[in-house]
Amino acid sequence: MAGRAAPKKMSHFARRAAGLLLSVLLLFLLLAPSATAGEVRLSVAASMTEVSKELISAFGKENPGTAVLPNFASSGALAKQIAQGAPADLYISANQRWMAYLIEKKGIVPQTVQVFAYNSLVFVGRGAKPLNSLKDIVSLSLLAIGSPKSVPAGQYAAQALRAVGVYEQLARDHKLVMAKDVRQALIYAERGEVDGAFVYRTDAMLARQAAVLLTVPAELHDRIAYPLGLTQSGARNRAAQAFFTFLQGPVAAEILAAYGFEPAARPVPEA
Amino acid sequence: MMLTLAPQDIEAIVLSLKVATASTLLSLPAGLGVAYVLAFTRFPGRALLEGLVNLPLVLPPVVVGYLLLLLFGQFGALGRLLSFWDLRIIFTLKGAVIASSVVGFPLLVRAIRIGMEGIDEHYLQAARTLGARWWDSIYTIILPLSGRAIVAGMTLMFARSLGEFGATIILAGNIPGVTQTIPLAIYEYTNTPGGDRMALSLCLVSIGLSLIVLLISEASVRSFRKR
Amino acid sequence: MLLEVDVAKKIGNFSFQAAFDLAGKKWGIFGPSGSGKSTLMHILAGLLTPDRGRITLDGVCLFDSKKKINLPPQQRRVGVVFQHAHLFPHMNVRRNLLYGWQRTPRAERQISPEAIIAALNLEHLLERGVDRLSGGERQRLALGRTVLSCPRLILMDEPLTGLDQELKFQIIPYLTKVLAQFDIPFLFISHSLEEIRLMTDEVLLFGQGRLEQRLTAEELARRDLVAGGRGYANLLHLSSPRPHGDLWSYRWGAAELILVEPGGKGDNLFELGAKDVTLFKRHPEATSARNLLPCRVSDLFGEGNRMGVDLLVKGSHLVSQIVPESVRELDLKKGSEVVAVIKASAFRRLY
Repeated sequence: MAGRAAPKKMSHFARRAAGLLLSVLLLFLLLAPSATAGEVRLSVAASMTEVSKELISAFGKENPGTAVLPNFASSGALAKQIAQGAPADLYISANQRWMAYLIEKKGIVPQTVQVFAYNSLVFVGRGAKPLNSLKDIVSLSLLAIGSPKSVPAGQYAAQALRAVGVYEQLARDHKLVMAKDVRQALIYAERGEVDGAFVYRTDAMLARQAAVLLTVPAELHDRIAYPLGLTQSGARNRAAQAFFTFLQGPVAAEILAAYGFEPAARPVPEA
Repeated sequence: MMLTLAPQDIEAIVLSLKVATASTLLSLPAGLGVAYVLAFTRFPGRALLEGLVNLPLVLPPVVVGYLLLLLFGQFGALGRLLSFWDLRIIFTLKGAVIASSVVGFPLLVRAIRIGMEGIDEHYLQAARTLGARWWDSIYTIILPLSGRAIVAGMTLMFARSLGEFGATIILAGNIPGVTQTIPLAIYEYTNTPGGDRMALSLCLVSIGLSLIVLLISEASVRSFRKR
Repeated sequence: MLLEVDVAKKIGNFSFQAAFDLAGKKWGIFGPSGSGKSTLMHILAGLLTPDRGRITLDGVCLFDSKKKINLPPQQRRVGVVFQHAHLFPHMNVRRNLLYGWQRTPRAERQISPEAIIAALNLEHLLERGVDRLSGGERQRLALGRTVLSCPRLILMDEPLTGLDQELKFQIIPYLTKVLAQFDIPFLFISHSLEEIRLMTDEVLLFGQGRLEQRLTAEELARRDLVAGGRGYANLLHLSSPRPHGDLWSYRWGAAELILVEPGGKGDNLFELGAKDVTLFKRHPEATSARNLLPCRVSDLFGEGNRMGVDLLVKGSHLVSQIVPESVRELDLKKGSEVVAVIKASAFRRLY
């Protein structure tokens, strides 16, 4: 009799546990993000935050059934996320390096990669006196730069600073504050916590307190190009392909130009 | 298993140890004082003090960091005062120490206070009747008998400081060689494609440091018991 | 020493009130649990503040609610020996011992540590940790620590309560010796009549938070006889035991007693119940009892069916408990000559 009672008790418990597990799984599945048809996941460099929102809204007017969900961060961070399996259909990087990294990791379909915008680098700050040349940066006490390890704006800035031979000195003197993306560098400059920050011209246009103290000569760094690519899942997503095409079209080009970017697409019609 | 550590990482390790040591030692006098007051005195507003001390424990560290930033920033109350004397807190090592101190202080006070409250009050009564004034009994009775708790509190605070990220990155920023402690360095590596090996190396170092701190703490607690 | 006290204190439902003046050296505070003895101790030591009143010790005002004077314990020079010793666990014997002495101003250090250490036999224990002391050693250390703080008055808060008999009588000689040797006035608080009788001369009797009576220890003991209870115990100091056949002969004052138990060389304390002292009008011819003591009645006391007869035996006092009927039958009055008969086995050795 005892032998019969014990298994019965255990199976009752096991049943309840299985039931609980199943409901949790179900809940998880229901709540888990999944790309449904008509949904596009976009991972885009932080410097394109505002322009992306307007691009998405413009696309949404022409394609009402589609939802585009953007994710903003530094290009390096985004590349890492996608390589680790984060869901994304399109990836826009602020430099070629991270795109190449993802292509190598087979995260991006190589044939889809196109540069669709360009930018330029400036140095902004709240300071009253503008700077004459890039070398004069050494006279400042603290400046913000996107971490060159993961932020393209920082890489371009570092490249330029190395070109004029002051980067090592600045690093040695501990004058560089590492920002996690170009927007954070801008905030530091806006708040006046640093004497200035290296940001894109497009960011400087959004700044309220900080003004451009210096434009970094374009020959000191690689051309700031924004490559755009479809991921493996994006290539299978019709809505993603539609958005991909839209981004390279004339409507998008006009919006990009309005925000200060240099679109690679058909030149903006003369006003 | 090769540990790959760049010079910047060594800097981060040294900085972490510096910040943790400084914040623990600098907070100790205040920690002892506050713990004593909470354990042995009664006064109106005591609950308020208790709440204030415990606040950083329940707030998200980034909130603590942001509040500190408001306080010490260019336009904050203390920030403006300090700039009079040419002293800056944000984006400096001082800022990192302050962030760690504020976040770890409740842990320090809590541990010490529990130790102090556990002291049999008869010992204090006996000391009084033998002629010891209040500061005398603190030094000869309360501190020795709460020694274990003090060590435990310092250990907790030190370990917490080694791992402090949220408040540090907001108040002190990520400046290699100045404020980039181990957690900040690891964070940067996790954002860097290809940075996993470095991140892992630093993680191992972090684990190793924490283990060492734990062992030292256990050893000193045991030595108290022997006495 | 002169202690003047007039205080009142209310704690929850318990209200305490006492007013008395004490002169002398060996006072007892006696009463059942909850009678306020501990409250009084804490008030005198400064560990508890009365609601109102005055306390003066040797002319120094320790507390005065009207003048807003309230000396903290560390300034009162009133020592306390606690019931559970409360030796500092993180200090060894030597450091515990000297704790109070180091905090006594040089000018007031009347007592030397060496003398206390010798008197309390603590020499071989000085470097030991207090957690490795026996019960008796702990209380000796506690006493030494308090005495070495050179107090004007020592309060002993039930220091022997909870110890077994053997341990008690091990410690009592130390207590009496040290306190007499260094001439320190003390208040001995206890609910044990035996301890009070051994330690003190005069007693304050407390009950329910009030001072009920002031009397000598002896009177307190006699009250106990009348009240019933365990009956009166004669406490006899005997000395110089010599073999007497297979028994022992002791000197008791100017008299001699025969006992079954052997004793020690010095002072021995024996207990003899009053009920075990039988009185004869005339010297009995043959009796199994070995002690036949001619004596004179010096006092009669008691009520109800219990009477105590205080007998004078060659200068020493002995109390016998008998019934009123016997008093009448033997026609006992002050001055009557009788013979006290006691068996050799009736004595119990305390120490």
